[in-house]
Amino acid sequence: MSSLIESSQANKRRYRAEKRFKFYGFVAILLSLGFLLFFFADIIRKGYPAFQQTEIKAEITYSKETVEIPPLAVNEQARDFVSRGFLRMIPSQVENNPDLMGNTITKWVVANDDVDQYVKGQPNGLSSSEKQKIDKMKKEGKIDLSFNKYFFINGDSKMPEISGIFSAAVGTLYVIILTVLFSVPIGVMSAIYLEEYAPDNMFTRSIEVNINNLAAIPSILFGLLGLAVFINFFGVPRSSALAGGLTLSLMTLPVIIISTRASLQAVPDSIRHGALAVGASRWQMIWHHILPVSVPGILTGTILGVARAMGETAPLLLVGMMAYIPEAPNSFTDAATVLPAQIYTWASASQRAYVERTAAAILVLLVILLTLNAAAIWLRNRNEKKW
Amino acid sequence: MSADVMVKVEQMSFYYGDFKALNDISLDFLKNHVTALIGPSGCGKSTFLRCLNRMNDLIPDTKIEGRILFGDVDIYDPKIDVVELRKRIGMVFQKPNPFPKSIYENVAYAPKIHGIANKGPQMDDLVEESLRKAGLWDEVKDRLAEVATNLSGGQQQRLCIARAIAMQPDILLMDEPASALDPIATQKIEDLIFELKERYTIIIVTHSMQQAARVSDYTAFFYMGDLVEVGDTQEIFTQPVKKQTEDYITGRFG
Repeated sequence: MSSLIESSQANKRRYRAEKRFKFYGFVAILLSLGFLLFFFADIIRKGYPAFQQTEIKAEITYSKETVEIPPLAVNEQARDFVSRGFLRMIPSQVENNPDLMGNTITKWVVANDDVDQYVKGQPNGLSSSEKQKIDKMKKEGKIDLSFNKYFFINGDSKMPEISGIFSAAVGTLYVIILTVLFSVPIGVMSAIYLEEYAPDNMFTRSIEVNINNLAAIPSILFGLLGLAVFINFFGVPRSSALAGGLTLSLMTLPVIIISTRASLQAVPDSIRHGALAVGASRWQMIWHHILPVSVPGILTGTILGVARAMGETAPLLLVGMMAYIPEAPNSFTDAATVLPAQIYTWASASQRAYVERTAAAILVLLVILLTLNAAAIWLRNRNEKKW
Repeated sequence: MSADVMVKVEQMSFYYGDFKALNDISLDFLKNHVTALIGPSGCGKSTFLRCLNRMNDLIPDTKIEGRILFGDVDIYDPKIDVVELRKRIGMVFQKPNPFPKSIYENVAYAPKIHGIANKGPQMDDLVEESLRKAGLWDEVKDRLAEVATNLSGGQQQRLCIARAIAMQPDILLMDEPASALDPIATQKIEDLIFELKERYTIIIVTHSMQQAARVSDYTAFFYMGDLVEVGDTQEIFTQPVKKQTEDYITGRFG
């Protein structure tokens, strides 16, 4: 007879095992939190400088000569440090505003990437005499950091100081709109058919197995499929948001079908029986009773599937969306790129200034994805119904 | 048995795949009477009940033989409109299954889809009348907009009865309607059945022989897919003809 006060050896062993198990679980959580924090800290540390850009106070002279040879338009002190991206704009500035001709204007102009990196204390390609000049200008208040609006309003560029995420963001928006338009109706309807109408036979079961397999296929294969079917067979323009959206729809469809089916399955049969027993048709049963209670689940699955598609790069590689796209697309058939592809392009670029832009673009993408996930959670909680 | 025959079952057999769940059943249900179906678990009484409004259609790989005449129509005629059939034959399930909508919407749903009442005062009246008939009106009249799933189990079951009678059916099928309820709620349901039989033909499956004895006019005893005995409830419980019936009602098995 063991005592109630003193645990037996066997019980003590059981308690120790439980404590150990709890401890392992706790360590696992700590580790994953640690990785996450490290990742976020690293990205933020690398990315935040990209939200600031070095600018130079320069005197710009507009004349016949300087329109021909733009570098001459800038006063000598600032000439070597101004971004070529700005110099290139001088002729068109005059074209747009002929009053500028013959005038000299003092204004803040984007500095080139070496100056920018030097000011931010990063490695750069400046000589020591150039650095001295910059230090001097800084003291005179002619070089300063300001908010980098170009990062948000410009497209990609070969000059990092004037490159931005705008064209990629618009591309992502187009692609996602198309992905949602194609995959949500088809996915939800397929799931409804399979769950509520389809007879249970070999054919539907094999469809089911294949849908589950599709969800686990490496995404690059969807890229190959998209290339073969949409571009080569149907002749959808290469690199276009349409090609990308269709390809990502293929990838998102299984996710949407599976999550929709799961949320339809979660509706108890008693509700179906109740509806049918009062003489509702099958469609009325689905539309009036099943869908209203399964919408939160469907939405959650859809948002998560779309969020995944939004972060996807591999399939888009094959339909030509991993490209240098400085201009935002104007239509679904224009050449476009997407944020993850832009991140990849910048990550492999050689100039130092692209490092911070890569991290900043990752931050933007992360913020969008986290917002989408938060929306999914909010929708689920708001519409949660009891039965 | 005199009076009008509402439903006439003729030599009906029912199969789940190869398994014969009901064997050659012939049985008449009389208008404005309560018929109780009793028998041990798995005897086929619930299957039989679900044959009457074709709810078994939902189960794949089932087969039915024989005829079930409702009026003079065989309800398994391929030309029959199942939606219309289920409108005429209401059903109350074992577990209360109100829709996860408001109390009002639960009752108004069937009249709405069948066009029995128009939105507005006409529907309000029908909802009130149905809830009154189901003995629930006084408890819920001030909270018709509340979600029905917040009601207690017994209230939910009476709401399901109100939902069924709101579509003005001829027959009410009840599949162990009180088995998930406490004695007081059960009492209310039984009282209700007694009142409802003035307007409806009621067929009730029950596990409780006391309940069958209390509420029904006729009792049918099922055993292993066979209809062993059917007759006046009084007689079945006092002088059963078959030995099996006697054993069951005296509690020797089941």
